[in-house]
Amino acid sequence: MAQATRSERLNAAAGQQVQRVRDFVDDTEPAALVVVTIIALSLLAAFVGFLAVSNLTALPFALFVAATGYGWVRHQEETALVLTLTMTVSTLLILGLIIVFIFRESVPVLWYESVTVLGVRVPGLRMFIQPNWDAVAPPIRYSMVPMIHGTVMVTLVATAVAGPLGVAAALFLSEIAPAIVREFVKPGVEILAGIPSIVYGFIGFTILSPWASDQFRTTGQGSYLFVGIVVGLMALPTVVSVAEDALSSVPESMKSGSLAVGTTDWQTMTSITLPAAFSGVSAAVLLGVGRAIGETMAATVMLRGVPRLTEPLVNVFYGQETLTSLIARNYGEADGLQMDALFVAGVILFITVLVISIGAQYIEWRMRSKLGGEA
Amino acid sequence: MAGATRSPLVEGDTTVTDAVAGATVGLSAMLFALAIAALFERVNLTGTVAGLSTVTLLGGLLIGLGVAVSVFGLGSWFGYVETDPDASAGLIAGLGAAVPWFVVGGGVASQTLGFGTVGGVVGGLFVGGLTFAATAVPREDVGSTVPLGALLVLVGAVFLTGTIGPAWIWNLGWEQQASITAEFLVPTATLFCSLYGGWAAAKAYGRFGARGRHMGAYVLIYVNALSIVAFLFILIAFVVVQGISGLLNGAQVGAGVGPQVFGVVELPVYVPFVMNGVALLNDFQGVLPAIVGTIWLVVGAVLFAVPLGVGAAVFLTEYAERGRFTQIVEVSTNGLWSTPSIVFGLFGFAFLIPRFGNRKSLLAGMLTLGFMLLPLVLITSREAMIAVPDEYRDASAALGVPKWQTIRSVVLPAALPGVVTGVILGVGRIAGETAPILLTMAGGTFVPGGQTVDVIGGFEFTAAPPFVANPELLQATSALPYQLYALITAGVGLGSNVTDPDGFRWATALVLLVVVLSFYAIGIGARYYFRQRLRHE
Amino acid sequence: MSDSPQTQPQSQTRTKTTGSDQPLETTSGETVEETRDEWTEYNFDGEAKMVAEDLDVYYGDDHALKSVSMEIPEQSVTALIGPSGCGKSTYLRCLNRMNDRINAANVDGSVQLDGNEIYQDGINLVELRKRVGMVFQSPNPFPKSIRDNIAYGPRKHGDINTGLLARLLGRDDSEAERELVERALKQAALWDEVHDRMDDNALGLSGGQQQRLCIARCLSVDPEVILMDEPASALDPIATAKIEDLIHDLAEEYTVVIVTHNMQQAARISDQTAVFLTGGKLVEYDDTDRIFENPQSQRVEDYISGKFG
Repeated sequence: MAQATRSERLNAAAGQQVQRVRDFVDDTEPAALVVVTIIALSLLAAFVGFLAVSNLTALPFALFVAATGYGWVRHQEETALVLTLTMTVSTLLILGLIIVFIFRESVPVLWYESVTVLGVRVPGLRMFIQPNWDAVAPPIRYSMVPMIHGTVMVTLVATAVAGPLGVAAALFLSEIAPAIVREFVKPGVEILAGIPSIVYGFIGFTILSPWASDQFRTTGQGSYLFVGIVVGLMALPTVVSVAEDALSSVPESMKSGSLAVGTTDWQTMTSITLPAAFSGVSAAVLLGVGRAIGETMAATVMLRGVPRLTEPLVNVFYGQETLTSLIARNYGEADGLQMDALFVAGVILFITVLVISIGAQYIEWRMRSKLGGEA
Repeated sequence: MAGATRSPLVEGDTTVTDAVAGATVGLSAMLFALAIAALFERVNLTGTVAGLSTVTLLGGLLIGLGVAVSVFGLGSWFGYVETDPDASAGLIAGLGAAVPWFVVGGGVASQTLGFGTVGGVVGGLFVGGLTFAATAVPREDVGSTVPLGALLVLVGAVFLTGTIGPAWIWNLGWEQQASITAEFLVPTATLFCSLYGGWAAAKAYGRFGARGRHMGAYVLIYVNALSIVAFLFILIAFVVVQGISGLLNGAQVGAGVGPQVFGVVELPVYVPFVMNGVALLNDFQGVLPAIVGTIWLVVGAVLFAVPLGVGAAVFLTEYAERGRFTQIVEVSTNGLWSTPSIVFGLFGFAFLIPRFGNRKSLLAGMLTLGFMLLPLVLITSREAMIAVPDEYRDASAALGVPKWQTIRSVVLPAALPGVVTGVILGVGRIAGETAPILLTMAGGTFVPGGQTVDVIGGFEFTAAPPFVANPELLQATSALPYQLYALITAGVGLGSNVTDPDGFRWATALVLLVVVLSFYAIGIGARYYFRQRLRHE
Repeated sequence: MSDSPQTQPQSQTRTKTTGSDQPLETTSGETVEETRDEWTEYNFDGEAKMVAEDLDVYYGDDHALKSVSMEIPEQSVTALIGPSGCGKSTYLRCLNRMNDRINAANVDGSVQLDGNEIYQDGINLVELRKRVGMVFQSPNPFPKSIRDNIAYGPRKHGDINTGLLARLLGRDDSEAERELVERALKQAALWDEVHDRMDDNALGLSGGQQQRLCIARCLSVDPEVILMDEPASALDPIATAKIEDLIHDLAEEYTVVIVTHNMQQAARISDQTAVFLTGGKLVEYDDTDRIFENPQSQRVEDYISGKFG
């Protein structure tokens, strides 16, 4: 039953699309139709040529430019429509290309690191069940475990910093600060987001790391604790701005309703505004987590660059390597399987952050439909 | 109605108790500042402050704060202070007070009494649970002051008696050596104690009850907001102070001292750091190639991403019907936006490099950053276009204007401010990115001035397809963020050309910061300008 | 605001109940102010619950309320009517200082509740708003259960403890809360409709039910004055009739001030009516019957007979 309706729906949708295309063809003069067809086909040919690393790529591209120029002058309406459509498709295409290319590059090392479990060969499994990374001396092993551990440690510390501070700052900006203060603090938060990560890393490397090593009497420099704190500060603006949007989207009438029964501003915030914006605020923290996971340069310059687990595992005073810093540090001398292993790290990062991003969007979407339904 | 409380509508003038409570809040603010100063070694733990040894002073102040807070709570309990407390301080306050006591109990049980880890956890849970009960069960005035006051007194006494003196150290005994030292523990403990004390004192100032909680929470939120702003200022000021001498090294002002621009005009200022490359014979070395490289990178990324992003936004907002397709595009652009920059780098490495002569090049860097910029441009442009009221479109359509003409003459101009602001802020973000160009463009640590990239002059025609070539685009060049990274990783032996490598690094950081933040300043300024103009129309 | 009044019949000079005979100019520097319509002193039986004197409100440069003085009698329904933008809602929001929420709002003058000035330092806003409750134009229930909506105020004021901690400590006031919620809902004539679904989300109620829920929420903290800002404007006629009956009943126990743009409604439910006209001025204030049958001012008569506004 459900199956039938589903396929029916798909058929109907497809039919609608066909109908729309047919309408477009019917309504358009033949000359314009020819031009937009040339535009689309030549761009497609250029793209295929580019993928195939062909020297002739420039020819269809030149044709595309020429056809577009002609179309723009003679049939602007149709050309604009087709152009913007191709641009939208290109955006989707980039995401698709990213997925294809980073996955493709990581395949060989996955085969190399496969393990047979119950007679089934599971590619890549060994990268996650043993903790040894050794790219030089045999047996050569590319384990992701130490880097995953590092990323988790850094992300935990960063979330502990960015989460509470970010939400408190968002409350301040959206509910507490007088208009004039907000006018100054909000751009300040944006500027904080704009400071390049390598500058954070540089300060961390020259000031924070020696200081921390001295304070905790560690051997050498670099600790997950302080990388986490720096990364947390970098993720802070993301949390603040997304959480602030969520808090401001709670209708003013709801807040007034609470104040009118004689509650304090703080009671209104904790009992009405925060619960109503809860999903948006958690999406903000999630996005902050995503930022922290993907942060590269500060981690690269502050960490030790030795892929191993810390001893014991909770030892935050030592910082070895994260998924991001592994890539940034080793791309230079790596080739062959080791390079492919870096792509595996990239795939893990990409999937994790994509899942977080989609999760955050889903949460926000639910909040919006909930609050929207009330209005 | 049942048990509705009535308080006086108008409260008396500021009383002595208010003044005392206010002074207590001030005392915790002072402790907070001292703790920060000690943490960053502005105040020496072994030294003295105002004639007292630092640790003694901190201990004394903590005890004073703890006693003041407790006296306030007890005074309210016995009716000496007029307050309006709730029946209980609540679960969250209970948990908040239990955490430091858990740490204290655990530490004492496992280390001082030697019960080991398990004993420590049990001891911590016992003490923490006790504190939780002591906070949550009694009336609010006692519950939210006495357990915290006791904590402050205990910590103060530990400092004062020298149990934890400046030389105290606790080796964690881990395989990878690490110790907790007094220079870390004393300021950190003081910091948290001052926050707890300040919170309790602010509650007392608000006479407990709903208003007390309001006060307590506001103190913490204001401290947080102030700290973030202060952090921003200190960060920028620090880079400026460290980098300014390197930046202005050899700078001159005067007619004709600067290099020629466009072959005719001579600049009246000469700042070698931003106008020179690195060369053996230079008096002053500089980062000109990296600056030019950054500019070209940004230009290339903008040329790629802005038309694509704005065009896609036009299609999504104006042509496409809202449905499955727009939803998919929306989800994937948001996904692209949060994709880590290093993944873009990997993608550029795998996709672009083999297609541009198998080596790192400016063009590959431009496109990689363009991929990064694209989702940002798309998202902000879409927001700006959605914000254009439908009445505009309807009004134009009602006059019989075709769709694209409507978009071009009505929607795009109205959305322009939002698009421009979004693009500028996005450019600020990518201009400072290092990770993507690390894998796609790179460049050297020190770049001679002769290698300054000249894209416009680089175009040449060739006989074979594609007939146009630009070797400059296909060459690796440097960019500021990458150069800073290279300078950091190159370590101390930076080569003999640069006499003051540290100054050179800081100056590079400063130039990078200035370049990036000026994009932000322009973006924020533009938004402010457009908003003001909208308001006055 | 700039429209000068047509030639008005200068009626009797009004003497204020407070006795002082103040000149009738506003505080702003404009040269010749429009002469205010004047009416005979409004005498009512009983005590004044709230008194406003020379109340001016500015939103930035906008002079939204001009020197309004009026007394609100106890346990009665006072209606504020006038065309939109006349300042009646602004005036209402001054009575429990909800205007404090608007950053640009600047209030000048005096408002007293039981003889206590509410625009003075040291005023306890929480206490003020407990005593002077408010019901808003469109229903604004919290996204919580019906019970939580009603019990919200008493819980926040610490009059009732039903939280996890209170239950653990055996100080559970669930029984008191049940009684309180029931009483408030009965007062708001909503109990019969919702008593079997107290844990449902309040947003699932109909618009009229939501508005009565908001009235019950307001009653739950036992206010003395209830301010209503066009409480029926978003409702259908049947729900409106229910709200009007309810307001009528409430006046036996509470002082009700209601803003409405619906003159028939004001005539039906109020004991006295104040007419605000363009420019934020109180033009006439009298017994409702007198206002609608025999207004003193030509402009009020024009407004009531529908000639403008």
